[in-house]
Amino acid sequence: MDKLLTLTALRRVVQLSAFVFFVYGAMLFTTFYTGDKLTQALPALSCAYDMSGGDYCALIPLQHQMDHRVSTLFTQNAGVMEALMGTLITIATVAVLILILNKAFCGWLCPLGFFQETISMIGTKLGITQIVSLSRDTVNKIRPIKWFVFLFLVLIFPILAGIGLLGHEWGSPFCSICPSRIMTTAMTGDMNQIYISQAGWGYFALSLIADLMFGLMIALALFVRQPFCRICPILPLQTLFKKIGLLRLVKNGDSHCDSCSNCVKACPMDIYEIQNQTVAENITHTDCTLCGRCIEFCPHDGVMSFKYGPITLLSSSKESFKKRTKIDKWWKG
Amino acid sequence: MKNTLLILLLGTSLWGYGEGALYWTPHGCDEGKAAASKHGGHGKGESAMFAAMNLDGNATARLVSPDLSVKELRFNQNTVMLPAPKIGGYYAMVAESNVSGNVYSAVRYLSLHGRPVKVSPTKLTAAPKAALEIVPDPLHREHDRYTASKSYRFLVRFENKPLGNANVTLETHNTPARTVKTDASGSLSLTLPNDFKNVRTGRSENKSSEFLLTVRYDEDMTQYVSTFSMPYYVNPNDYWQSQSLGAGAIFIGFLGGLFLYRRSKKGVNHG
Repeated sequence: MDKLLTLTALRRVVQLSAFVFFVYGAMLFTTFYTGDKLTQALPALSCAYDMSGGDYCALIPLQHQMDHRVSTLFTQNAGVMEALMGTLITIATVAVLILILNKAFCGWLCPLGFFQETISMIGTKLGITQIVSLSRDTVNKIRPIKWFVFLFLVLIFPILAGIGLLGHEWGSPFCSICPSRIMTTAMTGDMNQIYISQAGWGYFALSLIADLMFGLMIALALFVRQPFCRICPILPLQTLFKKIGLLRLVKNGDSHCDSCSNCVKACPMDIYEIQNQTVAENITHTDCTLCGRCIEFCPHDGVMSFKYGPITLLSSSKESFKKRTKIDKWWKG
Repeated sequence: MKNTLLILLLGTSLWGYGEGALYWTPHGCDEGKAAASKHGGHGKGESAMFAAMNLDGNATARLVSPDLSVKELRFNQNTVMLPAPKIGGYYAMVAESNVSGNVYSAVRYLSLHGRPVKVSPTKLTAAPKAALEIVPDPLHREHDRYTASKSYRFLVRFENKPLGNANVTLETHNTPARTVKTDASGSLSLTLPNDFKNVRTGRSENKSSEFLLTVRYDEDMTQYVSTFSMPYYVNPNDYWQSQSLGAGAIFIGFLGGLFLYRRSKKGVNHG
């Protein structure tokens, strides 16, 4: 029983509950319709294509607003407020949600994040050799991709589609390639999102990328932690507001930090910066999902901690490190 | 005059479809489309004008709003023009008539744009709208649509109670009518036929068609006839989208991942 009392175990329970709610929520907890959804601006990949879901991510309204509203600034000389109001409401809703949970939406609630972690657990149990950490060089090469995805696939291409410079398929290009669309619908028994479209080169390219990336993500998740999260455009969206988030990762480092890299090894996003020595500083990085593994695996008292406003929720300690390491050995066999 | 001709043309083209039953169909005249456009657009580009087919003189029509408030609709011959929606969401258009002891009703749902209301469409479908009624279970979400080759569930209610063992007829313009029986809980599932002709590549290249569900029930020497009509659309997976190629691409992506795994085992990506 004692084995269950860890932050990761608590996170798994929350993730599973969130997965059930976001993927099947409309069937189980509420009624069927969009009108019953919570926000329609969730800063996590909960997919609107899932007709049984309980909520959906902010990226689909953002793309539609770029395509149908923001583009009218250029095509119909629409008023600024008329063109931007929808986007402002979505962004404001995201800001409020980030204020409450910050980037924990990724590490604790995102259905696709949980899906990848589950595959990773399967990979471990199958005896597949796990990559402990990607190299700093590899991480640095991957990091800009999410900004490219956010700027082009979520903002710029939809605006260009709305203006008429790109075809209709570029109105919501991120959704067209998002693995969460395939995963969440498949989880409800709907296989209609697995396809190659022959409706035109744009449709063909986007559907091909989506399917290839979904297969690649599953294979990579067997031995690399959180492969898709590293390029997910939700991270840049959250980053816009991470300073206001009440929940944050704080480090009060000491000289041990130079020689110990436990936190980096524990980090599923390979954030090397968390190893740096800092004093009482908010170190919630753009890539951080606030999973808390760095706190669990830090062997020093009070160095890493979760804070909610002024309140310390959890701090690293020798005792919890020993316990967590023991559990990790037991899990990996 | 133009409207009368359109109605005659529509009636002729639908010969046999919905025979002997009162049902709603969109009236695609310019006036209806212009009104819909003025209203800020109706769901899926539908007209704001609808025709009640096989209408008798004493028929009444009403529009049930998403907040369940009711507005009477006035017939002009057999057509009604919907008012500009004040609130957004699903509306139910209901027509009823009583002819020689037979009770006819027709229900059609449509999603209209407007200020959102915090009332679930579940309440609209749950609310009794006619003595005998076919209810979508559930009504698809606003951004979804009835699609060929997909299965949908419906519930038949009489006096607001499930009606088991009732025969429900499914009709489309290109497929002969077929009948499905409701189970003991009044529920039935049916698959919309893939019967579109001259399908062109691309979702926006193909117009919707109509399907009609009809149920008849006799009680106390009275026959009740109720219909449910909605548009349905071409399923891209039947034409320009290939699911087997999609599954193949996922497999290739998976193999690509395994290739990277082999490379990683040789130490290429280790930190």
